[in-house]
Amino acid sequence: MQAGMRGKAGRKARAGWWSPERPWVWLTPAVALLLLYSIYPLIYNLVTSFKEFDPLIRGFQWVGNENWAKLVQDERAFNSLRVTLTYGIWALSIELILGMAIALIFDAGTYLRGLWQTLIIMPMVTPPAVVGLIFRLLEHSDFGVISWILYNAGILQPAEPLLGGTGKHALAGVLLADIWQWTPFCVLILLAGLKALPTEPLEAAKVDGASAWQTFWLVKLPLMRNVLAVVILFRIIDLYRLFDYIYIMTSGGPGQRTETLSFYAYQTYIFINWGYTATLGVAILVLIWVSTFVYTRVFKVEW
Amino acid sequence: MAAQSVSVTSESRGQARKAAPSRQARARIRGLWLRTLLTVFLVGLFVFPIFWWFLASFKPFGDIFALPPVFIFKPTFKWYSVVLGGVSYNQIMLELTGALTSTGGGLYYSVPYIIDSIIIASVSTLLVVLIATPAAYALSRFAIRRRHDLVFWILSTRMMPPIVAAMPFFLMYRRLNLIDTYLGVILVHTVVNLPLAILLLKSFFDDVPYDLDEAAMVDGATRFQAFSRVIVHYILPGLAATAILSFIFSWNEFLLTLTLTRTAVRTMPVAASTFDTSTGGTEWGFLAALGTSAMVPVFIFVLFVQKHLVRGLTMGAVKG
Repeated sequence: MQAGMRGKAGRKARAGWWSPERPWVWLTPAVALLLLYSIYPLIYNLVTSFKEFDPLIRGFQWVGNENWAKLVQDERAFNSLRVTLTYGIWALSIELILGMAIALIFDAGTYLRGLWQTLIIMPMVTPPAVVGLIFRLLEHSDFGVISWILYNAGILQPAEPLLGGTGKHALAGVLLADIWQWTPFCVLILLAGLKALPTEPLEAAKVDGASAWQTFWLVKLPLMRNVLAVVILFRIIDLYRLFDYIYIMTSGGPGQRTETLSFYAYQTYIFINWGYTATLGVAILVLIWVSTFVYTRVFKVEW
Repeated sequence: MAAQSVSVTSESRGQARKAAPSRQARARIRGLWLRTLLTVFLVGLFVFPIFWWFLASFKPFGDIFALPPVFIFKPTFKWYSVVLGGVSYNQIMLELTGALTSTGGGLYYSVPYIIDSIIIASVSTLLVVLIATPAAYALSRFAIRRRHDLVFWILSTRMMPPIVAAMPFFLMYRRLNLIDTYLGVILVHTVVNLPLAILLLKSFFDDVPYDLDEAAMVDGATRFQAFSRVIVHYILPGLAATAILSFIFSWNEFLLTLTLTRTAVRTMPVAASTFDTSTGGTEWGFLAALGTSAMVPVFIFVLFVQKHLVRGLTMGAVKG
């Protein structure tokens, strides 16, 4: 950007407010649309969280802080937060560890690596709704292949299937779809990070006789800090919006065993408690902002 | 190569000097084979569900449910003949099961959903590229006060969970009569994909030296000509990658399309979900045929952007 400043002074001085030397001329359409998508729902939800839809008059009525009072006592909302966090922690740790393991194997070198790298992309670009369907078939309690394998391995009892039953394993069932779809994402990005590692520290470690294990923990991992930070940030953002698999695979059930924040909000929307949907929406936004703010400060994510 | 001299211990040096390279070469090849085998197994785990789904779309009715799983069967195109060919659902179910099932009807015919998906994804991709490219250029080229904050704000719009935006947009669209229209869905898909496109394109513009803009302008080009006739050509691969990724994300989008459409406009993922809920789960052949049709175009497209995929998925933060 240094070069950018050079030509600027002279050019900008004679430029009018509408001139192409003014950034806003280029940015306005994009910023306007993004404002529409970010500020409008925020303000709308904030205002609506103090109202409730009244089917009798087919319109909203002010209810004061009723929705917010309901939220702090809403066992179901806390349950959905718990489900989201449990899901998030499991998904993130398994995807990172598995992703890192596969990336390390790729990085160490295999035959036909290009082919494997292409194949492993496929889950990531499959529509999540279709992923939900695929795993419903695979995990079907009567004829799902995954269920069949788990029954035969004695890990699972047909009385307590992955999906359905009392829902003891339902979250694991949904997690399986998430892990399948998003581990490749971690693989690709971590692999890019591994490939970009500077060679000198690795060679120095080799000369010093460090084991592969030590090199990984003491040299590679610290050097990949930034890449790791980005992967985790993107997964955190995605986990809060977790909806598609739940909608297709479990509808939040059995009971509320797999009801995530997004899905609970959707339920209130379907039942036309729109004021409460707005309240949950604001709460979700605040949660995301706080977690990403803290996260980007702690990890100093660079763009 | 420094390690080679270290690993040769002093007592065996005489022998090792001759034997070491071949032994090391052998160890290296053994390692390669071991890792390749492990990779085949791991990648196999990730490919299997898609492979299984693909098989299910060609399996005769009974084989879909057979356990132990059936891999060899006489392929049938009946599911596709309903989903893509418009053959009557009742006729096929009668042929397959010998009984008339009560549910279903014409709604399994999916070509209209495919066309809707193509229209929405293409037009919104076009809009995304048209709007994002100038914005990315400005973010890359101009001295903007608090540019870093602006970039982070653009990134933060990507964090908006669809459910939070769905209800406000639903109510706004209802007032504007945009529910269940192409325009409505296209608009929302465009906005959702903008942050990704802007930041990704910015990272491609950043790779092009500013001297090129200056040279063009010294030669008499206006700022806009420098952008449109010179700089854009250097980021054509980036533009292609951005377009393809927007297309894929629009193609896959689910929740917003679900809430903002009813029956007149219906994309593939939404159609797949309605099949599912309306049939209770006995008609997996139709679902597999539709799901496979929804995946194939995406798989073909993604092959073209593989090189830029890492950069694209991290919105330019990590360069692959």
